[in-house]
Amino acid sequence: MLTNKRLILAHFWLAFSVFGLAILLGAWQMLIRSPLHAWISNPEWYYRSLTAHGTVMGYVFPTLVAMGFGYAISETSLNQPLIGRRWAWAGFWLVLIGAVTAMVPVSLGLASVLYTFYPPMIGNPFYYIGVVLVVVGSWIWVALMSINLAAWKRANPDKPVPLAMFANVAGSYLWAWTAVGAALELLLQIIPAAIGLTSTIDAGLSRVFFSWTLHAIVYFWLIPAYIAYYTIVPRAIGGKVYSDAMARIAFILFLVVSMPIGMHHTFADPQVGAGFKFIHSAFTALVAIPTLLTVFTICASVEIAGRLRGGKGPFGWIAALPWDNPIMLAVTFSFIMLGFGGAGGLINMSYQLDATIHNTQWITGHFHLIFGGAIVIMYFAIAYDLWPHLTGRQLTNLRLMRTQLWLWFIGMIVTTFPWHWVGILGMPRRMAYYDYTNAALEPTALSVSISVVGAFILVISAILFFVVLLEGQRAPRENAGPYRFSMAVHPPVTLPAVLNGHALWVTLMVGLTITNYGFPVYELVTRSGMSVPAIYVGGER
Amino acid sequence: MSVRGNSIFRDRWAIRCIALTAVLFVAIAFIGLVLLPLLQPNVKAAGLWDAICSAAGIARKPTNTTPVAPDFKISSVVVTPEMLDTADAQSIGRGATLAHQCAICHGPAGFSRADSPNLSGQYASAIYKQLKDFQSGARSNAIMTPFAAKLTDQDMIDVASYYAYLPRLPEDRTRQVIVAPQIVSNGAPLRNIPPCGSCHGSIDHKVGSPWLQGQPAAYIKAQLQAFARGQRNNDISQQMRNIARQMTPQEIDEAARYYSSLSQSAQLTGR
Amino acid sequence: MTDETSSTHNHSRSADVAARIERRWAIVAIAVIALIAVMAAYGGIHRATMPQTQVETIDPTTLHLNGEFIESNLGSAIEPNGSVTVRVVGQQYSFTPQCILVPTDTPITIRATSPDVVHGFLIEGTNINTMLVPGYISDLPVQFNKPGEHLMPCHEFCGVGHEGMWGKVKVIDKFDFLQLSTKERRLNCVD
Repeated sequence: MLTNKRLILAHFWLAFSVFGLAILLGAWQMLIRSPLHAWISNPEWYYRSLTAHGTVMGYVFPTLVAMGFGYAISETSLNQPLIGRRWAWAGFWLVLIGAVTAMVPVSLGLASVLYTFYPPMIGNPFYYIGVVLVVVGSWIWVALMSINLAAWKRANPDKPVPLAMFANVAGSYLWAWTAVGAALELLLQIIPAAIGLTSTIDAGLSRVFFSWTLHAIVYFWLIPAYIAYYTIVPRAIGGKVYSDAMARIAFILFLVVSMPIGMHHTFADPQVGAGFKFIHSAFTALVAIPTLLTVFTICASVEIAGRLRGGKGPFGWIAALPWDNPIMLAVTFSFIMLGFGGAGGLINMSYQLDATIHNTQWITGHFHLIFGGAIVIMYFAIAYDLWPHLTGRQLTNLRLMRTQLWLWFIGMIVTTFPWHWVGILGMPRRMAYYDYTNAALEPTALSVSISVVGAFILVISAILFFVVLLEGQRAPRENAGPYRFSMAVHPPVTLPAVLNGHALWVTLMVGLTITNYGFPVYELVTRSGMSVPAIYVGGER
Repeated sequence: MSVRGNSIFRDRWAIRCIALTAVLFVAIAFIGLVLLPLLQPNVKAAGLWDAICSAAGIARKPTNTTPVAPDFKISSVVVTPEMLDTADAQSIGRGATLAHQCAICHGPAGFSRADSPNLSGQYASAIYKQLKDFQSGARSNAIMTPFAAKLTDQDMIDVASYYAYLPRLPEDRTRQVIVAPQIVSNGAPLRNIPPCGSCHGSIDHKVGSPWLQGQPAAYIKAQLQAFARGQRNNDISQQMRNIARQMTPQEIDEAARYYSSLSQSAQLTGR
Repeated sequence: MTDETSSTHNHSRSADVAARIERRWAIVAIAVIALIAVMAAYGGIHRATMPQTQVETIDPTTLHLNGEFIESNLGSAIEPNGSVTVRVVGQQYSFTPQCILVPTDTPITIRATSPDVVHGFLIEGTNINTMLVPGYISDLPVQFNKPGEHLMPCHEFCGVGHEGMWGKVKVIDKFDFLQLSTKERRLNCVD
């Protein structure tokens, strides 16, 4: 039952609009730093663009997708109209106002500090204030998800919470808690320095706070994609979910262990003790478990679909799958990219191998493959699946949808594989230009050029995505029927209470944050004299 | 369909999960905080407790070593971002009076006619730092050293604030746009030469670095050569020597000519 | 939901089979993760490839005035025990010394810090890779086996001049290094 279609569409349209703008910046950046383009005469333009691209793609776009999809899940899976519709609109406007507030100083070149902030560099305060508004807007969504689930539970005391909503609320709690790290960094350290209340900043503490957010945010981006794996894909391809309980366990594990592991981003930092780095490294290994479980469950669910469609033998079911269905294609591409990206992730999280690629182009290649590839392609799938229910018009051009998904997959592989490679060669990140004529850098020139081609394939795919949606706006009106989520092969008959609520898991998440971050943060805060002068950028000319 | 159990925390599954998490954390923490620091060959710890503290990240000050002492006078200015970023009218007024003695070389309005640097509109922090360095001997110049020797700290702040308050030379709009040579706009990355503007104000400003637009070519050239040869070494931790040393004589000429051509001072002074 | 509940008996049997397969997979997944963690710990102990073992602090604003990062003390120094200590400052937008000179087959300790913003420290073609955070000293043990030259870029965004922040490392024969060190107390390869 979708009653707030305009609210949900507003979130998706804003999300995809900012995505469309940011991907153009991304492609431009790929081009101008490559050997195919002369050195840019003012490198600041590159960093300005990079700040905008990262801020939009990292903070605005996935947050809006999670919010819009979350409202849709709440209404459809609980079958109850959204409670707090006005608050939801307020959250939307806060995100929009925050995004504009942040982007104005960035586009004026007043906050070219990159989306990771990098204190003690300090830019224009409105950039940070804008980011805070985006986060505050999304926190309204977190509260609404919680309130809606609680209301449903009161009305349905004995029923298991639908899997989609269970996962959605887990994702919202994860986001609420993980955003606290960056919020502390912004509110206690960066913004006071940016508005002139202080002129110093504790760079080491800021980096630790940011790591609190920076890793788990990836899982916040990921959760809508995983919800789609479990609750959209099997239904869309005519199958069933292999196991409802295992799906819940996967989301629970994300909630508990994706948070207390952020310090693997600071392996090479001198301000944290090696012991805590090891603890975070070991817990990072744990976060691979829910993904491994998901790979099994989804492959098995897809196999069920193949067999239900008459596929026989060990591999015959693969041929029997509905390959002309865009959702089938999307999940396949997503899994392939998740496989490569996940393998790369295991390298990043390990102490020993990290040193080879830490902060090189490998890292950028890695997170573009995981986020831009495996996750965003599922955002497309979510939009394709949900759109007819939101607009009341069918998306009929399946061929164009398939072409779009193929191009996104090919584009992502062509962009990110060479990107990983130049990282292994030791190419540093985030430079406006490189001297490819130097013998030591010359071997990277071809790979970087290939990446540029990939970037433009991605732009074409993004354009096709908009064409599909806009074509849909002109299609005749047609009732898409009620929106359904996948059924489990064995729907939960009895469910342990722990798999039906979030209280225990939120407690464990907070508990592990305290054990894994508590002492390092305490030690950093009490370390005296660690505030260093802020370095203001983009100010006096 | 039903949901088993009432209170989550009395549920036996819940207790197991909490216990498992606790055991996991304790085991991992034991390996990370106790076992690894003890077994690693490269840890220089005085004992078990010391090793644990070190792995936990308890900070320590570096052990005292005797550094090699410099054979020249190092700049003793501590550059901070808020350095001289606000000036009061009184300070500017005092600075104007003090600046009379500067006019003979640096021009009555801060525009030099004698290949001395133009000071009008210069960053206060840059002027202050150079005055301090002339006074301490970190930078030496037959004319400037005796002048600086007489100034108090407040005098230097006042003079710097006064010149920073004066307007910069206007850009010359009568001539066609001068395209910056590549050494200025891009530098030479692998020779460790960043774009000049990333510190000197046209792109971003690093506190302590001067504004270069309109400075006399001869002055810029002489300073770059002095940095390159190590004859001038009051740049903190070699930040300017590292760059100048890597520039070719031709690039030094190009950069100097470019900056001097950027404002009307070229006409004002007949160059 | 009629099709799922056609036969309660079959239902529970097939559910048990499904659960068993799933459990086996979960055990494999956990075993893989445990193996990775053990490998990390083993590597940490036996190859000494652990992150920096201690946290050391320093005032970044006065690096140039006194202490071990004063300009004249930067570069490579031979210690009484025959090892070499290399002290480096990474600042906007260069490393000092701009070219680091080190011997082959000698235990080397790199000690580096930043007076301004966060910088990266990467020696290409090696696993030497760390961050310089103002206020802290990065300290890492390294060794070079072959003579040669390496690029040493800053790999963390440090401001608009970041793309110009490239240093060099020159590895020379141990014997030649010792020869040079009789003339100068702090060595570098800046021309």
